[in-house]
Amino acid sequence: MKLKKNLARVAPLVVAATLTATACDASGTDSTSSSDGKTVVKIALWNYKTTPEFKALIDGFEAENPSIDVQPVDILADNYPDKITTMLAGGDTTDVLTMKNVTDYSRYATRGQLLPLTDVASKLDKASYSGLSDYDLQGKYYALPYRSDFWVLFYNKDMVGKTDMSKLTWGDYAKLAKRFTKGSGSDKVYGTYLHTWRSVVQAISSAQTGGDQLGGDYAFFKDQYEMALGLQKAKATLPFATASSNQITYDSQLTTGKAAMVPMGSWWAAALLAEAKQGKNDVKWGMAPMPQVKNDGKTVTFGSPTAFAVNKKAKNADAAKKFVTWASGPEGAAAVAKIGVTPAYTSDKILDTFFSVDGMPTDALSRTAMQPSTVQLEMPVSDKSSDVDQILKEEHEMIMSGEKSVDAGIKEMDSRVKDEVQ
Amino acid sequence: MNTTVLRKDADVTTGPAPADAQDPNRHRPGTGAVAVAGRIALYVLLTVVALGVLLPFIWMLISSVKDDRDVFTVPIQWIPEEFKWSNFSDIWTRVPFGAYLGNSFFLSVVITFLQVLTGSFAAYGFAKMRFPGRDLLFTGYIATIAVPWQAYMVPQYVIMQKLGLVNSYTSLILLQAFGAFGVFLMRQFYLTIPDEISEAARLDGLTEYGIWARIVLPLSKPALASLALLTFVNTWNDYMGPFIYLTDNRLWTVQLGLRAFIGQYDAESAMIMTGSVLSVVPVLAVFLLGQRYFVRGIATTGVKG
Amino acid sequence: MSAVAPPTPKHVPSGASAAHQAAAKRRRRRTTLLGWSFILPNFLGFAALTLVPVIGALAMSFTQWDSYSTPKWIGLDNFERLWNDSNFWAALQNTFYYAAGHIPLTLAVSLGLAVLLNQKLRGVRVLRTAFFFPYITSLVAVAVVWNMLLSPESGPVNQFLTFIGIDNPPGWTSDQDWAMPALIIASVWRDMGYYMVLFLAGLQTVPAELYEAARMDGAGPWQRFWHVTLPGLRPTTFFVTVMITVSSFKVFDLVQVMTEGGPGRSTLVLSQLIFREGITQGRFGYASAVSLALFLICLVITVIQFQMQRRSER
Repeated sequence: MKLKKNLARVAPLVVAATLTATACDASGTDSTSSSDGKTVVKIALWNYKTTPEFKALIDGFEAENPSIDVQPVDILADNYPDKITTMLAGGDTTDVLTMKNVTDYSRYATRGQLLPLTDVASKLDKASYSGLSDYDLQGKYYALPYRSDFWVLFYNKDMVGKTDMSKLTWGDYAKLAKRFTKGSGSDKVYGTYLHTWRSVVQAISSAQTGGDQLGGDYAFFKDQYEMALGLQKAKATLPFATASSNQITYDSQLTTGKAAMVPMGSWWAAALLAEAKQGKNDVKWGMAPMPQVKNDGKTVTFGSPTAFAVNKKAKNADAAKKFVTWASGPEGAAAVAKIGVTPAYTSDKILDTFFSVDGMPTDALSRTAMQPSTVQLEMPVSDKSSDVDQILKEEHEMIMSGEKSVDAGIKEMDSRVKDEVQ
Repeated sequence: MNTTVLRKDADVTTGPAPADAQDPNRHRPGTGAVAVAGRIALYVLLTVVALGVLLPFIWMLISSVKDDRDVFTVPIQWIPEEFKWSNFSDIWTRVPFGAYLGNSFFLSVVITFLQVLTGSFAAYGFAKMRFPGRDLLFTGYIATIAVPWQAYMVPQYVIMQKLGLVNSYTSLILLQAFGAFGVFLMRQFYLTIPDEISEAARLDGLTEYGIWARIVLPLSKPALASLALLTFVNTWNDYMGPFIYLTDNRLWTVQLGLRAFIGQYDAESAMIMTGSVLSVVPVLAVFLLGQRYFVRGIATTGVKG
Repeated sequence: MSAVAPPTPKHVPSGASAAHQAAAKRRRRRTTLLGWSFILPNFLGFAALTLVPVIGALAMSFTQWDSYSTPKWIGLDNFERLWNDSNFWAALQNTFYYAAGHIPLTLAVSLGLAVLLNQKLRGVRVLRTAFFFPYITSLVAVAVVWNMLLSPESGPVNQFLTFIGIDNPPGWTSDQDWAMPALIIASVWRDMGYYMVLFLAGLQTVPAELYEAARMDGAGPWQRFWHVTLPGLRPTTFFVTVMITVSSFKVFDLVQVMTEGGPGRSTLVLSQLIFREGITQGRFGYASAVSLALFLICLVITVIQFQMQRRSER
């Protein structure tokens, strides 16, 4: 009976609390203008606090447009696309949506959930924008990129010493990796670290050999796989199986001196700087261009841009458009370069800004690394992209963990992509 | 049903949940060296197993005072090079963790309360009343359990959006307080309560509501307590529900707060573990509290003679 | 008495007068109303926010739907696609494999634990709490520690196996043949405390007098377990069995953090396929078709369980 009495005592409290909470919710800010008469633009983004570029863009834009109040709608990075999909399905009216990758972008755009921005895009100087053409959907644009990341070779300056890293082929890279490998047991230092993502092998080989990742014929992966498995066999990199089952972070491999070279996206630079600022690491690092298949003086790498789009159901579409245009242009680029993020719009001035960031390596090689001759999109956009992506990822795991030989894995990729992706 | 048949031998009116005094063990302490040795062996076994069971939690505890990059290492570092106790003080300022705890607690309490109340009420209808359509309705309840939420997440969200309840606690409360789980669980327990008891009460002039409140509810304390505990834990640990429905940071729960330490390209793993350790504390308190109700400790079994 | 819902008894005495019949009818209407009044508070919320979306979602399996545009009726096309989708068959097979391991093991372990920890032992509260911990430990921690324990080269499990003379211990989560057993072990470990709580609650409904009576009759510990504990627990066991069954067919979180369906697709389960096809790729119609298949499987199994339960009550 005691339980019942307790229930009786608690019940009114609970009901009262529920009512108050409901009342609280109703007072949420759901208007098109703030109390001081500014136009409100809501922007869906991820991890506002730990992704400083968003604050840089919003502050910069508001300073130039005092009549507009940009409000972040903070969503967890982990499941960002899932939430956006759900929100849009329900008819959400958030004005600006951040497009995390191009595949998701094309999905939202073809569903008709985004406002066309073709008129703005046609006025832009395409030569200065990296990644703008990736948003071209049959001549129409529904988003404008504000940052563009591409892959470079990060390395630990102390471990690499005076080795010339400027014009590496994959063969040179593998030799170096074996040379830098030292020690054993818990003192073991690897020459390199290849993260578990499939792009580490597949996207780079597609970019440098010209092979098509959607094509259904994946023989062009072979050399790159042999190289990666060779490193694994020589114990010059942490084995794939260990890295994936222990959820190893690539960050710790470089910053704790476990690996000398790590191929990774340019976004890492900003993260490394932020860590150094907080006293989390004191590693001396630099950037080199990605190793190449052919030593012909060109640097070919892959990457992916990030963009802003305007929701078709936006409450303040005009102001939203203004923000998106501003963020992707020279002013937005300057704002993000200032915090060590690589903007989509580039010029010498922007590069200067980027390299003047406190703590950024200023050597000539790092500057070369930041100016690749070609950046291919990580995964071409089509309605088959994610299906193919899934198959390639699964077979990548099988090959790298030694469950299948390279030939068997590639054969499986060929046949599965042909059979399963209609 | 078999229990009832068996119970005919017993004194029906006392019902289930006998008092502690009936514990036969109390009068029969272990006799002889064999019993003592058996007992010791049992304890040793249970303790070893319990330690094994706790290993991941111990890892979580250790990681919570590590540096981020020492969390995932090969081989695992069981003793940190340096203890970073500051994680436990930093977490409160890095994110509004206190507020998240409060939010989670509020949601869990309200949802648990409503689930237990309406679930046990509806279960009475399913277990003790007979009327046409009852079975069909019950099948409907059970059937929905078999549909994965991934399938109906979007339709559910669309309905909530139409009702204008998205981004509010009301949506989550409505969503989770009326699940089939509680109804099913309570119904199964009501079935073990002999109908003779309610018949007698009916003859005494109690209404059906009276029987539920005064007879059935008190008799099903263990079930109510376990339902409350499990609902509380599930609500507390839920991530996808709050993630989809709560956008405003002021409304976030602990589980969302923990994921805020996972960035797009990196994660503050130690902080996540610090938060996880802290978030376990309230659940632990509820478990210890609930144990009093759902286990009365009758010595029953086969392990000792 | 039959616990599971026999139809309303129609014992209208022969030759009863019209007045009697009317009275019986009135009484029946009254019980119906009363019954509904109990169910209604829960049912209103349940129907509007769970039943309707569930039915809606299942209906989508006959359409092509991207979550936004108007759904397009395409008849059985999704099911044809399903039939030819090797991912579906792989996931189906894996799900059954998981269920076949997870259901009996979890049932046995949690029941055993509950019986063991229902005694008055010193420190039993601490033990009960310890066994509930896996369920409230962060999933990330669970994944890391289990992957460490099962690590092919350096994990303690394989070291032990080598020690007792097994030359070629399995590669567990990085081996396509052993990833599923590894998952099953971890999942039993994680869920046992949860179902233990339910069994513990169930044990409280078994009257102590019965044990005393059995003891007097000279029944040993096993006999008491078989003839008193198990029959007394039947409604609980039924509930737990249904819940474990359904939840193992819907397993998602643990697989997601431990193996993500890999290596390859050796641990891909149906819920992951549904999530991937629906939320990630926006093919909600097809995802619904997979859900419908999963739903029907669960339904068939649950109905069989109901029938068995009903039979055992007679």
